[in-house]
Amino acid sequence: MIKPVVLVVEDEPLIRLFASDMIEEAGFEVLQASNATAAIATMEDRRDIRVVFTDVDMPGGISGIKLAECIRARWPDVQIIVTSGRPWPAEEPIPTNVVFFPKPYRQDRVLDTVKRMAA
Amino acid sequence: MIPDTVIPGQTAHLRARALADLMVLDSPEEKAFDDLVFVAAKACAAPVALITLLDTDRQWFKARFGLDVYETKIEHSVCQIDIDRADVLEIPDLAADGRTRTNPLVTGKRHFRAYAGAPLVLRSGIIVGRLCVIDTVPRPEGLTETEKAMLLALARLASENLELRRIAHTSDRIMTLQTALVEIGEAIRDSRDTEQMAFNTAGIVGPLLSADRAGLASIDDAVATIDVKNDWTAPGTVSIVGRDRLDACADLQAPLAHGEPLVVWDAQNDERTLQVLQSAMRIGVRSLINMPVREKGKTIAVLFVHSAHPRTWPAEEIAFLRSAADRLEAGISEHRAEQQQRIVNGEISHRLKNTLTMVQAIANQTLRTIVDREAVYAFERRLIALSAAHDALLEANWAQADLETVASTVLETIGFANRCRLDGPPVALGPRAAVSFALIVHELLTNAFKYGALSNNDGEVLLTWGIENGKTDDLLVIRWIESGGPPVTAPPRRGFGSKLISTGLLGIGGVNIRYDRSGFSADLKAPLRNLAQA
Repeated sequence: MIKPVVLVVEDEPLIRLFASDMIEEAGFEVLQASNATAAIATMEDRRDIRVVFTDVDMPGGISGIKLAECIRARWPDVQIIVTSGRPWPAEEPIPTNVVFFPKPYRQDRVLDTVKRMAA
Repeated sequence: MIPDTVIPGQTAHLRARALADLMVLDSPEEKAFDDLVFVAAKACAAPVALITLLDTDRQWFKARFGLDVYETKIEHSVCQIDIDRADVLEIPDLAADGRTRTNPLVTGKRHFRAYAGAPLVLRSGIIVGRLCVIDTVPRPEGLTETEKAMLLALARLASENLELRRIAHTSDRIMTLQTALVEIGEAIRDSRDTEQMAFNTAGIVGPLLSADRAGLASIDDAVATIDVKNDWTAPGTVSIVGRDRLDACADLQAPLAHGEPLVVWDAQNDERTLQVLQSAMRIGVRSLINMPVREKGKTIAVLFVHSAHPRTWPAEEIAFLRSAADRLEAGISEHRAEQQQRIVNGEISHRLKNTLTMVQAIANQTLRTIVDREAVYAFERRLIALSAAHDALLEANWAQADLETVASTVLETIGFANRCRLDGPPVALGPRAAVSFALIVHELLTNAFKYGALSNNDGEVLLTWGIENGKTDDLLVIRWIESGGPPVTAPPRRGFGSKLISTGLLGIGGVNIRYDRSGFSADLKAPLRNLAQA
């Protein structure tokens, strides 16, 4: 059986590893990227990504929020989970098909969402 | 007293200024002045007596007895003759005197024939007009010494009255301006940002000074450009919202750079505004005040007031604008400090959250081999409860947190917010108490989920709190009451969670736990004072 593919975007290696393990153990294939540019490159490469799980603050100038906008525009079918140590910017509404989790997050909640999105 | 050798043009200019400052021209009739002309007429047995004020192009009568005109052209003024000599002017026969023979008041139907006028001398020495008596028949013998002395005395009273009137007017005005300053202070305090501060202040200053335009413009570091985000304008006056250069006109720029006010009475007669006169006229500025707003020795903004007409800005209005600028300065720097604090707080919070996430990641990797995943998840939830307490603390600068905010943040992040009802007054918890309370709420939730009211589909929790007046101290009493769950019994062994609950809000107990038939409940008590400080 083919596992659904999830892309984890996070600049902090330890947290990326943690998130990847968590999602992998739940039965998904996980791809990793450490910034938004690498994430886009992976997205262009792999057309089978179903869910992107991304941090907000990352080096390289493109935030996870910007990345989410870009994915929504180019790959409207891909579901997006955004997570951050900061609250979601008050002046911007959270777009539809984006789910936001403040850090630290409950693993079971995140996994429930990933499963729902990939189904 | 004005010296004998004065240049007439110069005294006329001084007189105009003094009169403008007295704010008396075209004012309504006042009994105090009417009485003086009545007494003067009777004292000198004359049919006409006047208090004449010499404006640049007219003489205007502040009080009249026996005459029905309000003013005449300055050329027809007898009072202005020899005005700078500061002495009584007597012309026994106006029709015979070369200076007045052709005056229409003499040749016309009014038949003025004899004149005597005493100067109105202000405390500054400036003469602003005369108190005069007029007869329709010649009086070759002139006034008697007594009449002359009375006329001089009445003129002194009139001058004194002009000044007192001005002082009374000023003190009324100062009261009004003071009240407005209080309003401005409140408006600044209530403003979200500097733009709103500017808008609210301009809306008070403009109408109060009967201006045509008022506003607060920000100024860049080099004092080279000025930026108006919003302005108050009188009906029919154009707004000047936008950015403009300042460095083109040194006379406007220099005072701002040095933090000094620029006060222009009449742009058409002021060399400082000559260079920008055309653009000033275009936006309808004939007189203006630029009051700098400073921060750390630098001008950061200017509070400006424009009028489409020439204006003698009185000292109290300039002082008022200075105070308003001071309040804006305080408001702006306080606002900036708060913004700075918010940024710093946000940054601290962000780092803290990232650190907690790192702890979560490390714990997970470390505990990978542990088969009991529930233990790992319990750890994670405690971490999240801790994080929630910090969220609530962040809202009040880390100093304290609202009890309800702590509880609801924990419920939202852990879950079950829809099955827990919160009820109680606002209570401030100190940082330690907030963290302790968040962890206790989490343990209570976990127990309720495992064994109590939240273990089925329809049980509920009521979390309520209130203040009880104790013998020595007010006590905060928090009650956790479960209902609708399965029957509960005391557990045989106490885990970490139960221990945490029983240590209480301050770690010193004050906890009462009951396993009733209706459900589990817990009372937590602690002195309110200690909770707010801890």
